[in-house]
Amino acid sequence: MGEVMTAQGRSLPADDTVDLREIGFRSLDFSELALRVEDELGDELNFDAPGLRRIATVGDVLDFIEQLQSA
Amino acid sequence: MTSEVSVPPASVVLVSGGSRGLGLAIVSDLLAAGVKVAAFARTVTPELTALGEKYPDQLYYGSVDINDAAAGQAFVKKVETTLGPIDALVNNAAIGQDSLHVHTSADHLAEIIQTNLTSPLVLTRFVLRRMLAKGLKGRIVNITSICAQRGYPGLVAYSATKGGMDAATRSLARELGGRILANAIAPGFFASEMSAVLGPTQLDQIVRRTPTGQLTEPDDVLPIVRMLLLENTNINGQVLVVDGAASI
Repeated sequence: MGEVMTAQGRSLPADDTVDLREIGFRSLDFSELALRVEDELGDELNFDAPGLRRIATVGDVLDFIEQLQSA
Repeated sequence: MTSEVSVPPASVVLVSGGSRGLGLAIVSDLLAAGVKVAAFARTVTPELTALGEKYPDQLYYGSVDINDAAAGQAFVKKVETTLGPIDALVNNAAIGQDSLHVHTSADHLAEIIQTNLTSPLVLTRFVLRRMLAKGLKGRIVNITSICAQRGYPGLVAYSATKGGMDAATRSLARELGGRILANAIAPGFFASEMSAVLGPTQLDQIVRRTPTGQLTEPDDVLPIVRMLLLENTNINGQVLVVDGAASI
């Protein structure tokens, strides 16, 4: 997540409870993150939009990616 | 929120169906504009080969059937290593139709839908995934048709696929949040296509009813493709009709 934000000239806040809207992390940024994770895993991570809409904070993103990786 | 930076001009453009007709004209025009181009088609024509010889460092081309997703993906990866990351896609490959719906076999309907709608969407998905994974911004231009907006006999399935691509263009523009500009160009019937199925009297009648007094030519479409790929216009999610107002 930090790499995605750094590439866009932003930085990842230390606080997991920070709202994604506050830091400008949008759904496409999440897609970019998921695709980068895919590259590492060598497998596709497909998921529905409703799951994505529940993500509101930095912590939610990290939890969601963790769930996808372990699914 | 962060400030949004506009989408830069395309630098490496992938053109499907780039071996003849409008596709070949688009490839040739972009090369002349200094853009790197990758083009594929089922059959590589002598004209595309000649462009390859003229622009050896700027054009990468090959024979790929758009319905062969694995071959298309392999081609995209090869383009990336040869020309650099793809940041624009022109979905031009399509097959035509000239048969009444009731006389078109179910298999042929499926073939038209696969070639003109499903395969372009699969290719778009793959190219977008590559772009997003690299953090790139980019542009998509879908070549559709006036058939998506007006009814024409003998073109039921073809029209449905072009309407589908127009609709997909709008949703892509929304979904991609301005990071990738997605637009469509809907040409009217090309004179060459019309002359193949219509007689001179019918052609004359259509020309008389077209306010500009001329049927569409590939050259009419090229400046629009160039604009959507290279200019900073903020046009996004639109279908631009190029038909001399024949359809209004």
